[in-house]
Amino acid sequence: MRSFNNLVVNEWLKLSKKRTFFVPYLILILISMLLGYIVHSASPDMFGSAYDFSAMMLLSQGIGQVITILAIIGTAGIVSKEYSQGTIKFLLIRARSRTAILASKYAVVLIYAFSVAVVGMLAVFASGALWFGLSGGEAGIREMLTSIMYNSVSTVVYTTLAFMIGILTTSTGVTIGATMFMLMIDKLVIFREFYKYVLFPNLNLAAYEGGGAPMPGMTLTFSLVMLVLYTAVFLLIGFSVFRRRDVA
Amino acid sequence: MKQGSDERMQDSIVLQMNGVSKIIKGKSIVDKLTFDIRKGEIVGLLGPNGAGKTTTIRMMTGLIRMSEGDVIVQGHSVKSDFNKAIGHIGAIIENPEFYSYMTGLDNLKQYQRMTDNIEAGRIDEVVELVGLQEAMNKKVKAYSLGMRQRLGIAQALLNRPKLLILDEPTNGLDPAGIREMRDYMRRIAEVEGISILISSHLLTEIEQICHRAIVIQNGKLVTVTAIGGEQETAADVKLTIRVGSVESAINILEGLEYAELLSMDSARSEVTINLHDSKVPELVSTFSNKGVGIYRIAENKQSLEEDFLKWTGGNRIA
Repeated sequence: MRSFNNLVVNEWLKLSKKRTFFVPYLILILISMLLGYIVHSASPDMFGSAYDFSAMMLLSQGIGQVITILAIIGTAGIVSKEYSQGTIKFLLIRARSRTAILASKYAVVLIYAFSVAVVGMLAVFASGALWFGLSGGEAGIREMLTSIMYNSVSTVVYTTLAFMIGILTTSTGVTIGATMFMLMIDKLVIFREFYKYVLFPNLNLAAYEGGGAPMPGMTLTFSLVMLVLYTAVFLLIGFSVFRRRDVA
Repeated sequence: MKQGSDERMQDSIVLQMNGVSKIIKGKSIVDKLTFDIRKGEIVGLLGPNGAGKTTTIRMMTGLIRMSEGDVIVQGHSVKSDFNKAIGHIGAIIENPEFYSYMTGLDNLKQYQRMTDNIEAGRIDEVVELVGLQEAMNKKVKAYSLGMRQRLGIAQALLNRPKLLILDEPTNGLDPAGIREMRDYMRRIAEVEGISILISSHLLTEIEQICHRAIVIQNGKLVTVTAIGGEQETAADVKLTIRVGSVESAINILEGLEYAELLSMDSARSEVTINLHDSKVPELVSTFSNKGVGIYRIAENKQSLEEDFLKWTGGNRIA
């Protein structure tokens, strides 16, 4: 266990020692403040309180999407950069299995996504408090946490997808491009029976709030099972390719 | 009795290649390579470009899967017991690539965290050995190629390996850097007492530092040859002697049984002869007794380059 923790520390340092490490967090804070200002100057009564504002904005239609995008960009290179910079050779000739090395990388992807989500939530809440105040409104802290949780599910699925694409293509650019493309088209709904087995509609967990569904015939349990299955398949493909690949 | 000596033989072998092959799309890149690396020796892996040197080294270090055979390091199989086997190996494969936005020290710490049972003082030890103390807190992107090579060696020595594998270690270095590298390798072999495998196409490099050379071509083992000293002492030598007068030298040589005249060059006033090692002093005194001045004596060593071209079939070296 200690040796695995050391691997995770290594991966975290590789991310955090970059000079650009704080840029995504700053972007998140800036965008949240700006959004609060714009909404407030357009219609000051749109949200009753910071909780109302946060519960809405943290969904994947608002700042939530920015959180997902930043988490993807921040971790897209975690495998592919080792290949493109040639550091993969020194990394793999240690007394550690490839599975452990990749697992530590995935752990850091999740930790990073979590840190971005936490900063995003705090920034959005602070912006809401600044422009709409803390009292009044309908929603409370519970609604806010529910929103960030829904969005975090889709963040985890997307970063896992990016993780797999990064392993398969060993190219950071392609990884970001392909995942962004998926993120763009995921709001698209095709009303056919088969579509409920596709990943995208299942990511819209917020649609189940108040008894609705992304598509007729879908339930929350069904969507959760689908999401777990997709994530497991992404990881399975990623790990088996990484374990077997020749480093030429 | 015999079993005992066999065991001792086994003990002195650090790495064993057992019929290792790499087959890609039906084509053998490396074909049933078998050789040993013994304790404390410096071995050169020689071959023309595309001979399979890098593939061989990558299979030794587990970066590429073997199609057939196995590599045994200190009794552990790279195939089935990778972590233990690789624990005895330190390597630089092609150019040493580091995380350039981190300092040299941060880079070494990365590899320290991935290695069991090394104390913090080990980093200082290897850094001192390669003489990088001053540069440890500088970012690697500010390092010269020579410095990165040295950091690469420090990285490879961290886990106290029994075998150091260096793939084209002098690639891209200037003559001073090459010489420095050679000195480091000698010192490491001495100070750390470990075996070194060097792959190279620079024959003179191999000739100057290695005890043995393993020559491969088209993925197949061509020959294993000892370099330098031991067996030469009791053999014939080829000498080129610059003399005062070529004619009188030839006259004398025709009367001698133990020396054979191979060629002469009257423009440079030189004769080339073949004789037994033990007869050289006799020849010299015969020459001076008969009034033939000797200005130079040079040994005509068959260089590794000639051997190499012979083994690998001439001009196919790229």
